[in-house]
Amino acid sequence: MVDVGSLALLFWWVLAIYGIGTSPFGSYVRRRDFVASGENATLAVWGMVLVATAALLHGLVTSDFSLKYVAHYSSSTLPLQYKVAALWGGQAGSLLFWLVILTSMAAIVVLQNRERNRELMPYVTATLLVISLFFLSMVNFITPPFERLAFVPQEGRDLNPLLQNYWMTIHPPSLYVGFVGCSVPFAFAMAALATGRLDDVWIRTTRRWTLLAWFFLSLGNLFGAEWAYLVLGWGGYWAWDPVENAAFMPWLTCTAFLHSVMIQEKKNMLKVWNMVLVILTFLLTIFGTFLTRSGVISSVHSFTQSGLGPFFMSFLLVAAAAAFGLMFWRLRLLRSENELDSLLSRETAFLLNNLILVGICFAVFWGTVFPVVSEWVRGVKITVGPPFFNQVNAPLGLILLFLTGLGPVIAWRRATWSNLQRNVLRPMLFGVGVGAVLFVAGMRRGYAIVSFALCGVVLATISMEFFRGVRARQAMVGESAPTALVRLIGKNRRRYGGYIIHIGVVMMFLAFTGTSAFKQERQITVNPGDSFEIGNYSLRYDGVEEADSEHIAYLRANVAVFQGGELVETLQPEKRFYKKPEQPTTEVAIRSTLGADLYLVLGSFDQPTQMATIIAYINPLVGFLFWGGMVLVFGTFVTIWPQRATATAPAGAYSPGRNTVPAD
Amino acid sequence: METKSKFLVGAALLVGAVGYLMYSGVQQTAMYYLTIEEFLAQREVYADEGVRIAGRVKPGTVAKRMTPSGEEFEFEIGDFVAEDEMGQTIPVYYLGVTPDMFKSEGGSDVIIEGTFRDGTLVAQNVMTSCPSKYEAEDGTGYPAEGGTDG
Repeated sequence: MVDVGSLALLFWWVLAIYGIGTSPFGSYVRRRDFVASGENATLAVWGMVLVATAALLHGLVTSDFSLKYVAHYSSSTLPLQYKVAALWGGQAGSLLFWLVILTSMAAIVVLQNRERNRELMPYVTATLLVISLFFLSMVNFITPPFERLAFVPQEGRDLNPLLQNYWMTIHPPSLYVGFVGCSVPFAFAMAALATGRLDDVWIRTTRRWTLLAWFFLSLGNLFGAEWAYLVLGWGGYWAWDPVENAAFMPWLTCTAFLHSVMIQEKKNMLKVWNMVLVILTFLLTIFGTFLTRSGVISSVHSFTQSGLGPFFMSFLLVAAAAAFGLMFWRLRLLRSENELDSLLSRETAFLLNNLILVGICFAVFWGTVFPVVSEWVRGVKITVGPPFFNQVNAPLGLILLFLTGLGPVIAWRRATWSNLQRNVLRPMLFGVGVGAVLFVAGMRRGYAIVSFALCGVVLATISMEFFRGVRARQAMVGESAPTALVRLIGKNRRRYGGYIIHIGVVMMFLAFTGTSAFKQERQITVNPGDSFEIGNYSLRYDGVEEADSEHIAYLRANVAVFQGGELVETLQPEKRFYKKPEQPTTEVAIRSTLGADLYLVLGSFDQPTQMATIIAYINPLVGFLFWGGMVLVFGTFVTIWPQRATATAPAGAYSPGRNTVPAD
Repeated sequence: METKSKFLVGAALLVGAVGYLMYSGVQQTAMYYLTIEEFLAQREVYADEGVRIAGRVKPGTVAKRMTPSGEEFEFEIGDFVAEDEMGQTIPVYYLGVTPDMFKSEGGSDVIIEGTFRDGTLVAQNVMTSCPSKYEAEDGTGYPAEGGTDG
């Protein structure tokens, strides 16, 4: 099975080179059979990677410790789901996993476009194969996943206990799908540049792909945050660590791209900008992998500091040179066909949204590479910590939030006073009202008040949009309100799905604001029977109890939680000692309510005195991060779901802002 | 003013604002990040400044004591000249909670944020930098072969 895997990899490498050559050559000499052969090579490459992956999975599941990879990342007692997860637990496996996703996507693209986009397709397959070839060369020559050990150990080293967690099982796959998904719009963009077909065909073709990639990037970041919160035990969910930033940066440019393509579709403008965004997004996914794999930037959670860095860097430079080179070559064809009409228009709101997203991305990039840059320039490594990122991004994020409220209701081209009065005034007043109520209620944190007020503005605009749409349908076809709401969304999924996503984003902003402005933390060392207060809770430490299992030994602190004199719950923050490999971990205990989480960590325990250090956090509104994420997932489904061909409502139903973009 | 130049002015303002935010952010939060070697070479330069130092805990130097205000740690960090051999070290004092990967027998690779004062590095924060979250150090370490490198 193992040899089958290695052979498949090598054969596949040869095939990929064949495919890269054939498709564009076929297009150049106008030979359909050459192009088709290149596409078939893509499918064959996909088949080979499935074989190789199946071989590695087989090794993991059957605990074949003669394989170095299996011996490193698995063990015979590891639960099955983590044996499978070990596929992306180590470097060689994760590169292979990356390839599975990439070639699967390439195969889907080929199958989807058998009869469509015939001019673009040869270059699309070639681009995707070039990217695969890079990763393929890695797994063939640099970090082979099928390396054998000289001796066969009795038992494997096991997967790192920190990774043996539900969220960590699904976090890397979603992030990978998101990263790899960005290659598809990039490949179409390159094909559009190569063929000179620079109308918006490539953008329309890849809209769903982009949305899909964005969706998985969002999920990946969200799962990562959730994992950090539940497993790492420092009371927060985001630390601006280089590894986190690596996943966040492509999300930012991808979000910008999703918004700015609407301008291109509607006004035929911003073609160069969109091209830049799609290229940047792709490069950032490679840069992200480079960051996590090269150890160039030291991160508290640094991965393998392997020799892969230079390869990634070279690929990054070559890809950047090729992509931007192509773009400059075609610059004349990318000229805009329209001009902006007025400073007060939806176009401006979109443009500003883009500039800010890219600005945040740049700030995050700068903060991440600052140690390296400062070492080049001044010879001393200087780091900037989380305060830098928060300080820079908080005001930018708030402007973005404001634009989320303004964008959907301000008129295209040129906003008039009546448009502003009709659509913008009331949500603004509502937001001001929210701010005033909070101020009167005693809130004195400026940032928090502004943020909550802006959340109010966005929710008000979105509610207004839904309300007006429903009312219009009711008036025109006499439907009941719920039917009208469902049909309204169904009629223009892209628009209303987008609004639902915005609601999710607002919920997340509630969590960001709650946790950054009102978080409470208390670290205390107590004797059994001692009580202490945090927030409106009173906590009593009742000593520890020990437990033991085959895999893990436990040390559990019993903490009785009182609220208003009543015992509401007993929380048990733990220390665990994994026996193989020997490693302690901290398990937090959380009491979640809609308003806030009470989050307890057993910091240290002293056997002779039975004293324990307990760290308690109150994290206000943190639950909204997860629920906002769920709303975002729902909104994306609404948007991405195929539109039914026949409309169920009469034409000319309510459409504010004169949205003439055809619904997808 | 022409619409186009209005846009350019607007964009320039925005770029300026982002630039300013970044500049002041760096000014306020920058911290020297040094290896223990670099620090030892110029320790008087960095005295009383916020520093972030990467080093290894010298085996056998960790002393800890539970006090009513928390757990107190005293240990030494140095550079890793070779396996089981440490160069010059500096003492560290820390009151707080150490991360899971911090081993009380020493030998952990740590990143310490703190201030060097009167010959002691007073730590605000101790982080462990596992050589890799995903990959154990190479060499030994298969349970059946006896002896792990932890």
